[in-house]
Amino acid sequence: MRIAGMSACVPATVEDNLTLPIYKDENEARKVIASTGIERHHKVDAGTTASDLTVKAVETLLANMGWSAQDVDCFAYVCTSRDYIAPQTACVLQDRLKLRSDCCVFDLPFGCSGWVYGMSIVGSLMSHGTFKRAILVAAETNTQNRNPRDTTVRPLFGDAATATALEFDPEHSRPMNFMYGVDGSGFDAVWAPYGGMRNPVTPEALEEKEVAPGVFRRGIDMIVNGMDVFGFAIKQPPHSLKGLIETFHIDVATVDLLLLHQANKFIDEKIRKAVKIPPEKTPYCLEEYGNVTSASIPLTMVSRCREQLSGSDEKHCLACGFGVGLAWASMEFYAGDVKMVDVIEY
Amino acid sequence: MDIHEFIENFAAQFDDTDAALFTAETNFKQLDEWSSLTALSIIAMVDDEYDVIIKGNDILSSDTIQDLFNIVEKQQ
Repeated sequence: MRIAGMSACVPATVEDNLTLPIYKDENEARKVIASTGIERHHKVDAGTTASDLTVKAVETLLANMGWSAQDVDCFAYVCTSRDYIAPQTACVLQDRLKLRSDCCVFDLPFGCSGWVYGMSIVGSLMSHGTFKRAILVAAETNTQNRNPRDTTVRPLFGDAATATALEFDPEHSRPMNFMYGVDGSGFDAVWAPYGGMRNPVTPEALEEKEVAPGVFRRGIDMIVNGMDVFGFAIKQPPHSLKGLIETFHIDVATVDLLLLHQANKFIDEKIRKAVKIPPEKTPYCLEEYGNVTSASIPLTMVSRCREQLSGSDEKHCLACGFGVGLAWASMEFYAGDVKMVDVIEY
Repeated sequence: MDIHEFIENFAAQFDDTDAALFTAETNFKQLDEWSSLTALSIIAMVDDEYDVIIKGNDILSSDTIQDLFNIVEKQQ
């Protein structure tokens, strides 16, 4: 299996961290920008869903590749911002995208590790040879399930949808290698306590409370326990990447691109230094888009590596996604001659 | 582990606070410059210098630098 094409769609509305109304002055905003590297993010208008962004990303990708929706044998939707509690959003998207009725569609409700898990799952399905063409979507509307009056999350997270076209092509495919990781004891490091079966939505879950100075949340809002996530993110991703490098005898000097989940610059730089890959091989897009969870690795590829990945010489890539779960995954792959569509706006 | 070195490393995470203010008994969360971002720097420093990953709760439950030192020392 090889990556044949990639696209990304972001909302047109931009929120600049420097002018967010949640800070007492610009100085406070500047400190946050300096420590995270995140200057702004794109935000959907109320009512726009991750699946809306997805339709635009997928239709544009198919058109640019000359694929018909009818050619797609498998459609995987990595997303936690689902349209409805039931059914899974991939079913709704089958109809909206006019995919075949015998297309294999499913949701993968992963967060930041989702694109890597998705590549592994779809790659395994395709390796049987019955699917020739697949679309892997990684999409999220993080601004909608977090409280806009929560200073710990608003400057960090943005919205995006990405589409990765995968093709069964044994002649031009190189092996992909994966390492997985999970620590369920950290389930409450990044979570939304209410809205599932454990804690259903009640009137109390919808009440907004000031849980710390400047931090307002409802029970249904996503909580990010910054200190615990940080401690996890500086430990497990380097460990995972080092494990991948060791297990699959990867010569780090031959790596062209280190594609990291765009958590924040401070965390990502610690990971990069731990695996000894130079900064010029480690692209970032978080300054412009913030943390877009599962979409962040493919968005980095689309927005920052278009020329490199569309060239005919294959690039040797390492990727690492890590976050909510806590779950993480690393992969090694090669990509070249990829149809890279520029970032489009919704 | 040496408490004096720990205090020095701790103080190095602050930009605007007089280094003389840092002692084993300093209530670090009472310092004007203390913020959630400083907390992240402390977690990173402890990882770099002592190869220990402390939890958010370790910081929340510590009042003084000595308290945090004790937690890190126990985990080493």
